[in-house]
Amino acid sequence: MDAIAADRLTKLYGTDRGVTELTFAVDEGEVFGYLGPNGAGKTTTIRLLLDLVRPTSGSVRVLGLDPRRDGVALRSRLGVVPGDLRLYERLTGREIVRYFTALHGGRPGPEVDALAERLDADLDRPVRSLSKGNRQKIGLVQALVHRPELLILDEPTSGLDPLVQEQVLDLLREAVAEGRTVFLSSHALSEVQRVADRVAIIRDGRLELVEDVESLRARALGRVVVSFAQLPPAGAFDGIPGVRETGRHATVVTLALDGPADRLVKALARYEVVGLDSHEADLEDVFLALYRGAGGGG
Amino acid sequence: MGSVFTKSLRDLRRGLAWWSVGLVGMVAMMAGVYPSIRDNPALNKLVDDYPEALKAFIAFGGSVDYVSGAGYLGIELFSFMVPLLFVIAAVASGAGAIAGEEERGTLDLLLCQPVTRRRVATAKLASAAVEVGALAIVLWLALWAGVMVFDMGVSAWNLLAASLTAGALGLAFGAIAFLLGAATGRRALAIGLTAAAAVATYLVNALAALVSGLGPLQKASPFYHYAVGDPLRQGVAPAHLLILVAVALVAAVAGIVLFDRRDLHSA
Repeated sequence: MDAIAADRLTKLYGTDRGVTELTFAVDEGEVFGYLGPNGAGKTTTIRLLLDLVRPTSGSVRVLGLDPRRDGVALRSRLGVVPGDLRLYERLTGREIVRYFTALHGGRPGPEVDALAERLDADLDRPVRSLSKGNRQKIGLVQALVHRPELLILDEPTSGLDPLVQEQVLDLLREAVAEGRTVFLSSHALSEVQRVADRVAIIRDGRLELVEDVESLRARALGRVVVSFAQLPPAGAFDGIPGVRETGRHATVVTLALDGPADRLVKALARYEVVGLDSHEADLEDVFLALYRGAGGGG
Repeated sequence: MGSVFTKSLRDLRRGLAWWSVGLVGMVAMMAGVYPSIRDNPALNKLVDDYPEALKAFIAFGGSVDYVSGAGYLGIELFSFMVPLLFVIAAVASGAGAIAGEEERGTLDLLLCQPVTRRRVATAKLASAAVEVGALAIVLWLALWAGVMVFDMGVSAWNLLAASLTAGALGLAFGAIAFLLGAATGRRALAIGLTAAAAVATYLVNALAALVSGLGPLQKASPFYHYAVGDPLRQGVAPAHLLILVAVALVAAVAGIVLFDRRDLHSA
């Protein structure tokens, strides 16, 4: 069974916002990265999964259940960090966790403090006195503490310092190792590619692609930045198979490389090369190419 | 702090405390002035000579009389200040029940927990109703104390009837504010529309005796059912009390249903 199965899921608000005909499936036990620029429709998708808004057309099932009809049964198995997290200002983190745990029919145990310690969360001060990052940690504690089957996280690391971000990613890896599923929305590819098995990229409310991180990386181009003593003439690197010039600035030329580097190295040898910097294929390039609407760059 | 209901009640307790202080202070002040009124029967003649239009505004059921305890409390408290305070308190809580938490953005995470929207709305409404009920009890106890101390000659039972009727009036408008807030998610809109409805129905009731043609409309005014039974002299008027409670229930159910059907706004 899929953890999430969306079928032509559509939500339209007025003319230009919303999401259109999203079809994707999230497998049980994977981290599914949901990527897109701000305003692309990530949060709308998540609000549809949670029955906070209802689809204009299409459907979605989460853990095999209908978010509207089986909402309580479904949400008892979910842990959620909403985008733009808002918590009760007057309560402490501990009181908030106790409240939500009670709504799950339980009582918080020692795992609350263990989790808070890992995230360096302060549970005993009222939320109003906490920074954005420290509020986010309380959001994470309440989502993770009851070990839900499916975690739905909307920009969960926003406002967190890098060490805590790494802790969060570790926690997600541990959840998946236990067979649980993570739906991770983010605008930062660097974060998603460290934990996700597959990613979907959404832009302007439409899914651009859904793919394995590995095969996406294989599709990504290497990037070679060469500084010359004297700038080679325009078109010097045209016609070399697998090589494409992507920019030049002063005496520096940037080239995209698809496949073996041999032909490029031989072509460069004709000029005086001052510096050579080669980047391993990076998903960021694929991502940026998609954002620009160039369609994958391969 | 287990359920949504107790959490909501906790959220309201601060407001409840201040409203109680205000009510008790107002009752104490008005009751304290009563002995000087009672000892001055000429005031009754003055009030008798008021134009009918003014009498219509100061009356609380029955006849206008300034010197008896029931007449005095009716004119000074129940004709205007008590319903005003009850309507304001109930409308603030009713409008904020859903729309307040929605505008603050905390409703998202609450509805991500395993609770139905109906349960959340019902719990918040119930806590607001408890708040109004508690205010009615506070008013009753304050009045009772005032009546005992200043020998106003109104029975505890009739004071309770009047206080409960004021509570029921609050519930009716509070539930209308809840309905508008739950249906739209906009607190200011809910408060504004309910306040406008309260002013309009208040005027309809007060002016009905003076303006021909308002008669049939008067019975649609909650203020009519609030005052017409003359509870300070006659005790509970069950039919009129039930009408106010029925208005509250219909608005409450409509609010819950509409809230269940719509999209939540993002904060």
